[in-house]
Amino acid sequence: MSQIPVELVKILIALVAVAAFVGLNGLVLVYLERKVAGHIQRRPGPFEVGPHGLLQPLADAVKLIGKQLFTPKNADGFLFWLAPILSFMPVLLLFLPLPFGPKLTGMNLNLGLLLILAFSGLNVLATCLAGWGSNNKYGILGAARAVSQSVAYEIPLLLSVLAIAFQTGSLNLSEVVAGQGSWPWQWNFMVQPLAFIIFFVSALGETNRAPFDLAEAESELTAGFHTEYSGMGFGMFFLAEYANMIVVCSVAVALFLGGWNGPFFDGAWWFLAKVYVLLLVMIWLRWTFPRVRFDQLLNLNWKWLMPLALLNLLITAFVTKLS
Amino acid sequence: MVFTWLQLAIFLFMLGGLLFAGGPLILSWIIAPRAKGGDIGMSYECGMKPHGRAWNQFGISYYVYALLFLAFDVDVLYLFPVAVWYPQADGMVAFYKVAIFMGVLALAIIYFWRKGVFTWPRKIS
Repeated sequence: MSQIPVELVKILIALVAVAAFVGLNGLVLVYLERKVAGHIQRRPGPFEVGPHGLLQPLADAVKLIGKQLFTPKNADGFLFWLAPILSFMPVLLLFLPLPFGPKLTGMNLNLGLLLILAFSGLNVLATCLAGWGSNNKYGILGAARAVSQSVAYEIPLLLSVLAIAFQTGSLNLSEVVAGQGSWPWQWNFMVQPLAFIIFFVSALGETNRAPFDLAEAESELTAGFHTEYSGMGFGMFFLAEYANMIVVCSVAVALFLGGWNGPFFDGAWWFLAKVYVLLLVMIWLRWTFPRVRFDQLLNLNWKWLMPLALLNLLITAFVTKLS
Repeated sequence: MVFTWLQLAIFLFMLGGLLFAGGPLILSWIIAPRAKGGDIGMSYECGMKPHGRAWNQFGISYYVYALLFLAFDVDVLYLFPVAVWYPQADGMVAFYKVAIFMGVLALAIIYFWRKGVFTWPRKIS
């Protein structure tokens, strides 16, 4: 009788853990976002379902499943349904190389960073297909915006990530984290503050979060690329967006904020705490800044983020060679 | 061909994602109501009757911009292998090489900036 290889078991455990993590985080983030939004606007937020509205996300999930899945008459049915599935499909994979703790990693990959960057690109394709497949004018406008925006913000994102890669000489997220110390002044953002800011701003653009959520700007495009989606079709885009937020925040934490390193007790709790602080900042930004105009959005990228990121990378390369 | 655990993990995770996305969709397909008739299949345009199809020609002013992106994204990708070896490479020569590469990249932005792409004109000559 042949034995089951240990590696296979590890992969399967990682898969189940990641799927549970994504699902649970989706529920927590829906609640958190609505609650924070409520309190920022001086209202209590969801309050009726369960104590302090704690069961609201579950009720929402049941409601989404109970809604009719509808394909519009003019839509391209295949592309229309391919899009939500495609937007969620690579999401679990993005969690594979993330170092949650000193030993708690799906798989310790020497190209972990590249894997995340490569597969997160599929999300743009899904958005594009969603807008095009639904044969809706708002949808197509939203998709065109989403593509040009994600495509633009990807470059400063890559350049700011490269600054860390040039400095540490590694694309392995676990190694980058291990290279940083326990105290905040030993973390990478102390030496790369500009790269951190550029990364965070471009991450907002990449995940289509406000103030850069022009792909689904409800005041002009009703819902942008997912106008025609009802029920779970919309739910998939939603879940994928939240999962992507967690991924970009986790990468930011691993690269710039010391990952699982923290004062007194290193471990996964520091990682999760930092990720959630960043997520709260993202939610806070959404309810603080008004949505920018589209040319402002693109010009911010090409005229500010990109030259600054290039300059930052050059300086990093220079200083790395000096020491 | 060498089949590594990483490749298996990628396939399994994609499959997991597919099931994670497909499960609720199938569940929803089973239990959700199926209304039809009337104008339910009409494209949603805030209640007005849609005028024509959405799949027609429209001026997408991102053409030059797409070129710029392609140039950049592909070139930036070359920097990843460089980054891994960079700290071990000896001397300032490595820095000069990287600087020349990025200087050429920066020229692309300056060129398009001067050309007026970032003022978003209707037509770029």
